[in-house]
Amino acid sequence: MHRLSSGGILPILALATTLAATPALAQESIKIGVPMELSGRFVAYGASGKRGVEFATEVYGGKVAGKKIELLVRDIQSESQATISVFNELVSKEKVNYIIGPIGSPTVAAAIPAWRQGKPIWLVPGSSSTKLEEEVGGDPEFFHTFPYAYNYHESIAAALKNQLPAGQKVAMIYTDDNYGRTHQPYAKKYLTDAGFEVVLEEIVRTNAADMNPLLTKIARVKPDVLLGLVQTTDAVTLAKQIYTRKLPVPYLIGTAATQLDEWQKAVGTAQEGWVGVTTYLPGLNRPGNQEFPKLFPPSSEWEAMFVKKYGQEPDFEDAGCYVSAMLLFLAIERAGGDDKEKVAAELRKMDIPNTLLGRAKFVSTPSGTKQQAFTDMVVFQRENGKNVMLFPPGPETKKIKAVTY
Amino acid sequence: MDLIPQLIVDALLLGGIYTLMVIGLALSFGVTRVINFAHGEAVMLGAYGAFTVFVAFGVDPLIAMPVLMVAGCVLGMVLFKVAIAPVLKAPHVNQILLTFGIGLVLQNLALVIWSPDGRSVVPSYAYSSFEFGDVVVSGGRLIGFGIAAVLVLALFFWLKRTEFGRATRALAEQHDAAVLMGINVNQMYALAFGLSVALGVATGVILSFLGAITPFMGFHILVKGFAIIVLGGLGSIVGAVLGAFLLAFAETAVSYYVPNGTGWAEAVAFLTLFLVLVLRPRGIIGQAVAD
Amino acid sequence: MLRSPYFMVGLGLLSALALVASTFWNAPQLNDWLFRISTLIILATSWNLMANAGLVSLGHSAFWGVGSYTAVLAANAFGGSVLLTFTLALVVGGVMGALLALVTGSLKGIFFAIVTLALSEGLRICALMVPEVTGGAVGLFLKQELRPSQHTLYLFGALAAVGSVVVAAVIAGSKLQFASRAMRDNEAAAQMLGIAPRRQRLIVVAISGAMASAAGAINAWYGGYLDPEVAFTLHNTILSQIAPILGGIHTIAGPVVGAVAIIALSEGTRIWLGTMEGVSQLTFGLILVVCILFLPKGLVGLVQGGPNRRKPTPAPRLPLASTQGAKP
Repeated sequence: MHRLSSGGILPILALATTLAATPALAQESIKIGVPMELSGRFVAYGASGKRGVEFATEVYGGKVAGKKIELLVRDIQSESQATISVFNELVSKEKVNYIIGPIGSPTVAAAIPAWRQGKPIWLVPGSSSTKLEEEVGGDPEFFHTFPYAYNYHESIAAALKNQLPAGQKVAMIYTDDNYGRTHQPYAKKYLTDAGFEVVLEEIVRTNAADMNPLLTKIARVKPDVLLGLVQTTDAVTLAKQIYTRKLPVPYLIGTAATQLDEWQKAVGTAQEGWVGVTTYLPGLNRPGNQEFPKLFPPSSEWEAMFVKKYGQEPDFEDAGCYVSAMLLFLAIERAGGDDKEKVAAELRKMDIPNTLLGRAKFVSTPSGTKQQAFTDMVVFQRENGKNVMLFPPGPETKKIKAVTY
Repeated sequence: MDLIPQLIVDALLLGGIYTLMVIGLALSFGVTRVINFAHGEAVMLGAYGAFTVFVAFGVDPLIAMPVLMVAGCVLGMVLFKVAIAPVLKAPHVNQILLTFGIGLVLQNLALVIWSPDGRSVVPSYAYSSFEFGDVVVSGGRLIGFGIAAVLVLALFFWLKRTEFGRATRALAEQHDAAVLMGINVNQMYALAFGLSVALGVATGVILSFLGAITPFMGFHILVKGFAIIVLGGLGSIVGAVLGAFLLAFAETAVSYYVPNGTGWAEAVAFLTLFLVLVLRPRGIIGQAVAD
Repeated sequence: MLRSPYFMVGLGLLSALALVASTFWNAPQLNDWLFRISTLIILATSWNLMANAGLVSLGHSAFWGVGSYTAVLAANAFGGSVLLTFTLALVVGGVMGALLALVTGSLKGIFFAIVTLALSEGLRICALMVPEVTGGAVGLFLKQELRPSQHTLYLFGALAAVGSVVVAAVIAGSKLQFASRAMRDNEAAAQMLGIAPRRQRLIVVAISGAMASAAGAINAWYGGYLDPEVAFTLHNTILSQIAPILGGIHTIAGPVVGAVAIIALSEGTRIWLGTMEGVSQLTFGLILVVCILFLPKGLVGLVQGGPNRRKPTPAPRLPLASTQGAKP
């Protein structure tokens, strides 16, 4: 019993040695860290992110500024300790100058302290958390290529104001997770500012099996609009239970899942009439870029290429990570090589119209992010299994329709 | 509008699902004394099974359910013989970790096979509902409740009236005597374990059209399942049923009457469990805590 | 030679020295792993202490989480240092353990286990539902300017890990150990021998709780970010028991060996298989299953395991198992 032994240090040393002995390609390649959620609860996001970056690398030709692009793809397991380990490895051991990812708000948050140890250029194609903006928005190495929560609700409020008479009543359901907690105050603020009356705000546990008590409460206040600030599986449960009990609310809005193929398949006929908001949708028919026709073709062509390669339609993270990676490659090319400061300067200078996500230009936000791109969002409605544009106003936008059963 | 009738309906329907979820756990623990941390994965696989036959062959989940249950039972028996039987005499911690490991393997196997995307099955009845005045009853939940009731009654009948069932009960209640009477212990254990997996599969089939299916849906369900069977009294099937309904009523009532109650509902579950264990350690109906 | 106690003590001291010395070496990834091993050693040793007294905890994430929040909240509120918040977390964890022991009275086995599981999940929900205090799911950052260098934390973690093993060794040589073992085997008999189970139990759970909470505190400093999922994840509960069981339950070396093996295994599978979705965790699970099936005494048992060898402890049979055949 009194034997003290920690003899097992040896295996870990062996593991470290093996890893250290991986061939040093440092001279001929440019290393880009790609920490993604490849297992655990955010795997759907991370898998898209990895696909997007890899697809971009392939389309770009695998080489940038004459050197091979070496993607250091790492699984952060949707979990904070693995995230920290991966960032320590990428930042302190591999000493990468560029990182793209991860996507989920909690994993991005967990990565921040470890990222700070070396502050490589960090493109974050996810996390709408304003806590992120508060923490690192002002850092010159931080480039956010995804909208913040307030961008979502600005767009939704504007779309509804455009489409519905003033003074309508809104009920809100939000999850107790990072997503719901972050979005709820902004949703309330922008909708109220747009002249709507928020009559009910109810929290729901993530993975709740039964939302019926909530729906009963909602039915009692007779709102005109129901806003669901819940993510994938909860969005499925919500849509199914609303449809089942034929909840008498004419306008249903889902901020996180309506655009996802996954959600649409899962809820089937219950998707009819749901309104969504996103940065990118298949079938948007965005024009291509003249200067880089190969990198940023018209969105329909890009979608066809993607479907051919992966056998499925791209989602918003496929597109977001694809474009983010492309911007980084272009900046490295323009900087003439692997020079972190010059690449950051090139990213700041960049102004490329007509990418998949619209104009690629980093601007500063009023609430403190120095480099923010892609805040344009589209609001759409599901009608007969198709997307109908509601916002921004344009030739293809239509009038919102009330849900009927 | 009076909330109480709707509350009772919601709680009863939720209780039905909880019951189905936990009788399997109660059965396998009662007989084999193994705390199966992979039970949630039986539920998950049942749900994916229903999803697959629905998408691939257009077969209704309820029609596929008996076949899936039989498959689950056979798989459960095989799993028992291969992996669980060797640790029957080991400390419970080892069993917990072993079944947890099996669960981890099954979760990730499902992730590889079905991808991480959330799925769901949508047969026509999943979206049906009836209104009685103010009260709304979901058709899918009602079906789930009906199936739970049938399966619980069938289990009771089996335990009381069939030879196998009586042998199982004897094993659970008087282990040594049962062994002396010449009951083939391992065979009975395997059968009980297989049946508990089959009940888990049935739960999954029903959840497949009520909510969302993901590779990780099981573990979440499991923690609550444990709370329920301990609440009712470990190993007692009647207790498990009572525990399920008690919890369903407590959660639904909190959801209805407490501000932000849906957020607190689960904490209420754990608080109730805590209180019951501290004040009445045997559970509502149950066995001794210690020797 | 492998079985000589002097050799084992020497090996232990050498490993401890190596662990502490390694923190002065600048090898980021190795440092990171050794830090994770250090916190896991504390957590696993803490779990093993309870197991020694026949208490199977399924709620070590509760202590870990409370310790984490104690550290971050105290640091942000009044600029507490690592050492100060570590001490605070020790106290808070100890008090929490003592309360748990008081409230659970004589609950044993699976009942104690499920109460601890409920405690941990209940605390997670509370942390989610009172964002005014915890920041809720949006999370809390530890003020960056307060954080010491990574190497300070590596050193702190290593020292704390060595400290926890020393505590376990001291307990192993004390009256408490015999009382624990007696309780584990038969509480009634222990009582007849003049051992006061409730008091011993209170002490054991308090020490164990303090250790797990302190581990959470150090980790919070290292991570610099906290949300209810990070703090109360069941992952930590599972790791806290896999490590001792894989290493060898009811031994001092077991949790240490197990902690090293677990981190090597989970990082190894993550690194080599991580780019394929789900495969790393799948492999980890498979190895876990195989180890439990074929190494019932853990890795330590593998080294010691001569068939004629006198067993260091009675068969590690937890009272959880003793509900077997309990009469109503």
